[in-house]
Amino acid sequence: MKVERSNPPQNNGEIKFHLPKFKRFKLNNGMDVLFLQKNHLPIVKISLQVNCGSKFDPKGKSGLAFLTSHLISEGAGEYNSLQLDEEIELLGTLFDPSTDNDIINLSMITLSDKFERSLELLALIYQSPLFSEEDFQREKQKLLSKIIQNKNEPSYVASSNFDKIILGNSFYENSVLGKTEDVKTFTNNDVINFHKKYFVPNNSQLIVVGNLEKDNLKFLLNKYLYLDTLNDIELVTPTFSVNHSPKFYFIHQENAAQSEIRVGHLSNRRNETDYFSKTLANSILGGQFSSRLNLNLREAKGFTYGIHSAFVYYKDVGYFEISTSVNGKDTGESILEIQKEIAGLKIEVTEEEINFTKSYFTKRFPSMFETNSQIAHNLSTLIRYSLSENYFDNYIERISNCTKSEIEKSIAEHIKADEMIYLIVGDREIVMPQLKKITDLEIIELDVDGKIVNF
Amino acid sequence: MNDILNIKYEKHILDNGLEVVLYQDKSIPLVSVNLWYKVGSANELDGKTGFAHLFEHMMFQGSKNVAKEKHFKFIEEAGGNLNGSTSLDRTNYYETLPANSLGLALWLESDRMGFLLEALTQEKLDNQKDVVMNERRQRYDNQPYGLSWEIIFSNLFPKDHPYHWPTIGWMKDIEKFELNDVIDFFKKYYSPNNASLVIGGDIEYSLALDLTKKYFNEIPKGKPFADIFVPSEKLTKVKKIIHKDNVQLSKIYFAWEAAKLYDIDDATLDVLSDILTGSKNGRLFKSLVFEKQIAQDISSFQYSANITGMFIIVATAKPGVDLNELKSEIENVLNEIIENGVTEKEFKRSINTVKASFIYSLQNLNSMVNQINNYNTNLGEPNSFISDLERFQKLNLNSIKDAAKKYLNNSYVELHIVPKEAQ
Repeated sequence: MKVERSNPPQNNGEIKFHLPKFKRFKLNNGMDVLFLQKNHLPIVKISLQVNCGSKFDPKGKSGLAFLTSHLISEGAGEYNSLQLDEEIELLGTLFDPSTDNDIINLSMITLSDKFERSLELLALIYQSPLFSEEDFQREKQKLLSKIIQNKNEPSYVASSNFDKIILGNSFYENSVLGKTEDVKTFTNNDVINFHKKYFVPNNSQLIVVGNLEKDNLKFLLNKYLYLDTLNDIELVTPTFSVNHSPKFYFIHQENAAQSEIRVGHLSNRRNETDYFSKTLANSILGGQFSSRLNLNLREAKGFTYGIHSAFVYYKDVGYFEISTSVNGKDTGESILEIQKEIAGLKIEVTEEEINFTKSYFTKRFPSMFETNSQIAHNLSTLIRYSLSENYFDNYIERISNCTKSEIEKSIAEHIKADEMIYLIVGDREIVMPQLKKITDLEIIELDVDGKIVNF
Repeated sequence: MNDILNIKYEKHILDNGLEVVLYQDKSIPLVSVNLWYKVGSANELDGKTGFAHLFEHMMFQGSKNVAKEKHFKFIEEAGGNLNGSTSLDRTNYYETLPANSLGLALWLESDRMGFLLEALTQEKLDNQKDVVMNERRQRYDNQPYGLSWEIIFSNLFPKDHPYHWPTIGWMKDIEKFELNDVIDFFKKYYSPNNASLVIGGDIEYSLALDLTKKYFNEIPKGKPFADIFVPSEKLTKVKKIIHKDNVQLSKIYFAWEAAKLYDIDDATLDVLSDILTGSKNGRLFKSLVFEKQIAQDISSFQYSANITGMFIIVATAKPGVDLNELKSEIENVLNEIIENGVTEKEFKRSINTVKASFIYSLQNLNSMVNQINNYNTNLGEPNSFISDLERFQKLNLNSIKDAAKKYLNNSYVELHIVPKEAQ
C-alpha cells in the first residue's frame, strides 16, 4: 500500500491545556511570594530574588553585586563555607546563586521531602551570611582572574561592549562582572554593607513551584524567613541617550577565526503595549530558525552557523540587537545582507509570514509550562517587568489579535536603520578593508575594555 | 521513589527492523519524537571525517516531499522545537510538539529516512559545507581552548582508532566532502534496522503505533555492514603536548583511557569525579582552588562511549602560576586516593547527588525520552532508570579506591594550553 506523502498530515483534534494558576501572598515580614502548586513530580523549585543586580553597584564599585552573590553562600549561621556546601549537597539539593543587571537570584531545586531543610539553609544564606575576610580575599581574586579570562572570549567581548555602547552613561553601562580597577578597590565591608542594605524583605520576592500545600508552605516560610528589617531603597532611573545617526565600532582580535557582529539600537521597555507586535515583527526578521536573516545568511549564503535578532529587555530599558559570528572574509558582505533584510522588512511583511509566526507563538505556549524552573521563570517575568496578573491568561489572545498594520507600525518605530550601531570584533587586517568598502562613516576603534584607541 | 523511575512502555519491532518504543505521560499535552541512528563519527574513516555530523545538517535540508527549509518551518509552525546531535557512536534527531501534531513529526522523520536522496543536490551540500565550516570556526577555532578536545582525542587514540578525530571533522576533510561519498554514507547507515524510535508524551498507544507503521513500514531494510575496526594498541607512555592559543590563563588537561559506557567502572569513575571536583568539598577543588588558591577552577569527568571511555581532569591556573605546580598538587591528591581511598561521607554525598539527579531528569519530556532511547539502544531495555541507578547504589568505598588505582596509574595524555606570548 502506497502512503500519501505529498502533503503534511492534519492535526489530530484540539489541544486541551489548562494554564496552571499561581497564588500570591505576603509573609509576616512583608516579603511577596508567588506560589504555584504542581504535583506531578516530588520536586520543588525555590527562587529567592533580591532587587540588587549590577545596576545597584555603587559608583566606582562595578562588580560588587556579582561578588556579593558569590560570597553569600560562603558560610552562613553556624556553618563555614565548606560545611554549608556539604549540608546542601547531602540533601541532593542544587543551589545556584546568580546575578544579572537587575537582580540577584538565589535559586534551589530540591526533592520535596528535603524541602524544609533546604529552605532552612536558604534562609540562613539570605539572612546570616558569614562574610569572612578569608573567603572575601579568595573570591575577589577569582573574580579578577575571571575578568581577565573573558578578554579572549570573542562573543563576550562583543556582547559586553555592545551593551556599553548602547547603554552608555547609565547604570546598565558596566558588565555584571565589573571592571578590574573597581574590583581591586573592594573591601569586605563593601560586601557586608551591600548585603545589609539590599537583602531585606521589602526588596526581595520569593517564587516557589512544586508539590506543596499553600498553608504548609506559608507556615514554613514564616518560620525560617523571619528577618523583618525594612530599608528605603531608591534608585533613580536615568534617561537613556538615543543615538541619532549610524555608527561603526571595531575591536581587534589578532588572528580571529571569525568576526563577531552586533547591530542594533535603543528601544522601549518590556511592559509597553506594543510588546506583542514587536515580538512578531522580530520573529519574522531573525527571531527563529526560519527567519529572513537566518534563511539568507546561513541557508542561502553559508556565511554563518546562525544569526539571531531580539528585542532585549532589562527592567528599565530595552534594545534591539542582531547578533552573529561570520567567516572573517564575509564580514562586509554579511553587514550588507543584514542591511538589505532590514530594508526589506520595512517594505513588506506578508500575511503568510504573520500567520506562520503567530502559529509558532500560540501553539508553543503549553510547552512554556513544562518544568518547575520554566514556570518559576515565567512568574519572575511578571514581577520583573511589572506585567499584569492575567498576562499569561491573555497571552494567546494578545498574539492572535495583532494586526498587520500594528506589526508594520512596530517595524517602522522600533527597527531603525538610521540609528543603528554596528560593532565588529575580528582581525583588523581582514576586516577593516571590507568595512571601508561598505561605509563612508568613521570606524571607531575600541580596545577590549571599550576605550577608544588612538593611532 | 523507585515508583516514578519505573516507567511503563510498549516496544515493537517493525518488519523492516525499526525499533519503536512508546511511552505515555499525560501530564502536559506534548509529544516528543526521538530517533537514534546508530552511526557516529566512529563510523568514519581517516581522511573522510565529519560525515555523521554533516548529516545532522543535511537531514534538515528537505527530502522528496519536504522542500528545502520546510522541515524547520513545519515544526515551528506547529509550535514545536527540534534539533539533532552527533556523538562518537550515534546521531539523534528529535522534536517536541503539541500532542496533536504527532503525525506531522512522523511524516517528516520517515520522509528523510526513506526519501532523502531524491532531494539531495550539490547546491545543498555546498551550502551546508560552508555552514559546517562556520560552525567549526565558531565553536572550536575561534573559542579560547576550543581545540583542546581534538588534541586530546587524537593523541590518546592512534591514527586508525575510531575515536581519533573530532565529531565535527577536520577542516581539511570538511572542505572536500563529495556528493557521492555523502550518498554512500547515507545508504549504508540511515536505514530503519539501524535506528531506534521513541515516542513519548500525551499519546494513545494504538494510535501512535498505527501512525508509525503508516509512515515507516514502506521504508526498506538496509544492508548489513561490517563492524567498526578497533586497533588493540594502547597508550604506553605519557604524552605531553604544549599548545599556544589566544588565551589569557593557562590550562592543564589530563586524559586517561577508562571504562566504556554502562560498564560498572563507568559509574565508579562518575562518583570519583564527583568526589574530586563535584563541589567545594571536592578533593581537588578544595586543595587547588580553596586552600592553595593556585587554580581558578578545576573539573573532572568520566566521558564514556560504546568502544571505550576517558577520564579527564582540567584545571585553569591563576595568573602567574606555573602549570607544573598544579600538576604536582593534582598528583598528590590522586595518590592519596589511590593509597587511602575516600571517606564514607564523601561517598554518601555523591550518591545522594546522583539519586536526586535521576528524579530531576524526569522533568523535561524531551531529555527523558532521549534517555529512554539511550537505554533502548545501548541496553536493549527502555525501562532502565532503576537498574542504571543501582549501578551507583551497589558501589562501596573500596570500588572507588580500586578504580582510581586501576585507571589513574596508566599512561595518559597531558595537554598544556598556554598564552601565545608566554610558554
